[in-house]
Amino acid sequence: MSVLALDRVTFRYPASTVRALVNCSLEVDAGEIVAVIGATGAGASTLLLVAADLAPRVVGGELTGQVRCDGRAALLLPTPWTQVSGMASTVWDEVAFGPANLGWPRERIATSVERALKRVDSGALRDRDPATLSGGELQCVILAGVLAMDPAVLLLDEPTAELDPVGAERVWQVLRDLAHEGAGVVVATSDLDALPGCADRVVWLSQGRVHRCGLAAELLASPDLWEPDAPGSTAVAGVWHRAALPAPAPLTVRDVVARCR
Amino acid sequence: MRRLHPFTLLAVAAALPAAAWIAPPRTGGMATVAAALVLIVLLDGRQVFTVARAAAFTAAPLWLFLFVLHGTTGLVETGLRLTTVVASSFWLVAVLPPPRLVEAMIARGWPVSAAFLFSATLSAVPALRVRAGHLVDAQRARGLRTRGGPLIRLRALRALAVPLVLSALHEVDERTLALETRGLGPGIKRTPLAPPPDSAMQRAVRWGILVACVAALAWRIA
Repeated sequence: MSVLALDRVTFRYPASTVRALVNCSLEVDAGEIVAVIGATGAGASTLLLVAADLAPRVVGGELTGQVRCDGRAALLLPTPWTQVSGMASTVWDEVAFGPANLGWPRERIATSVERALKRVDSGALRDRDPATLSGGELQCVILAGVLAMDPAVLLLDEPTAELDPVGAERVWQVLRDLAHEGAGVVVATSDLDALPGCADRVVWLSQGRVHRCGLAAELLASPDLWEPDAPGSTAVAGVWHRAALPAPAPLTVRDVVARCR
Repeated sequence: MRRLHPFTLLAVAAALPAAAWIAPPRTGGMATVAAALVLIVLLDGRQVFTVARAAAFTAAPLWLFLFVLHGTTGLVETGLRLTTVVASSFWLVAVLPPPRLVEAMIARGWPVSAAFLFSATLSAVPALRVRAGHLVDAQRARGLRTRGGPLIRLRALRALAVPLVLSALHEVDERTLALETRGLGPGIKRTPLAPPPDSAMQRAVRWGILVACVAALAWRIA
């Protein structure tokens, strides 16, 4: 059962003659993690804006095709400092910003905020002023704010951009947990090493079009990903490709070990 | 003082400038400046100096212009009134965190967009100050001289102002998207998280302030 469906979507930003998305179709099931990859400017961020019903409703522009989203969709942008509400003096209030806007009763807000802070391991920050947090801490807090709204579809644009490896791994684990609980997750990322252990499917965008779409293990092993203007794949697959070893490339160190045995 | 309801603090901060303009220029101005200074002195120890210094730095250019344009009489009469406005404003900013005011507004049924506009405006000042600091550091790292004579400082100001304004404008788009996705849209009914407690006494004080201002105005006009 798909919770998000884009059917032949084409989108053009206002005052632009170039189409940012061209005839894109994508379905995301409940409990599924779909990664969107592509070179810079391929249209991954735009795809998330369209899926979140922000383009063209808020950003303007022209859209053709159909977008269907069952339930609430929440979007996490790559720059945490632009996502601070400006209406909260503590991290707890910042995380509660979204649920409060939904008009939930205070008890439900409190439960949801506590759970979200625990998920991203940021409970210790609850009384801090958001303005005093580091980029990584703020990214986790904003993610908690999005999770606290209990979205059916979670859309994330470079969610690990500000995080250290440990923080990034925590975020990927949170996404796996959410998918396990039934949420549909779409993540645009350049952290390709994380995808074999996290994504179910990968969508490769190129110049606004869905170039390829398939199971993560299959698509990421494809040698096409190393062509010019392609996004590449995992570091292990890159070494395999440069060494001109036979395809399909292993994606992780564990894959290499398994293959050598 | 911080425990007072935000509307009470607002009423006090608004009543002082109103009184300064309604009352006779010299005596009224002196009384309201004195009242504003008393409020500042009643702040927490560290804040007293910070707020007093900021108010003085803001008011000083106004005093200078008034003296140049209107002489000593204008300086005393209008200067006292303007000083009341500046001092009471800085006192209000020191004593009332914007989120607390927003909570009070939302609890009273104000539109969330109006409350957000108010809060975001007040919160923008410290945020812009922090970003300006980062920009100065970045420009210095690339060889910009920010210390020295007026010409050097003017040049540095230009190098700071352009990226500061452009980056702030660029952020508006992303901030709009972030707020939308977190449920801040027109017509929402937001839950107040911690509405500040109000009391009959404080409500009476606010009404009293309003009635006193109107009565004083009527007395002055008559």
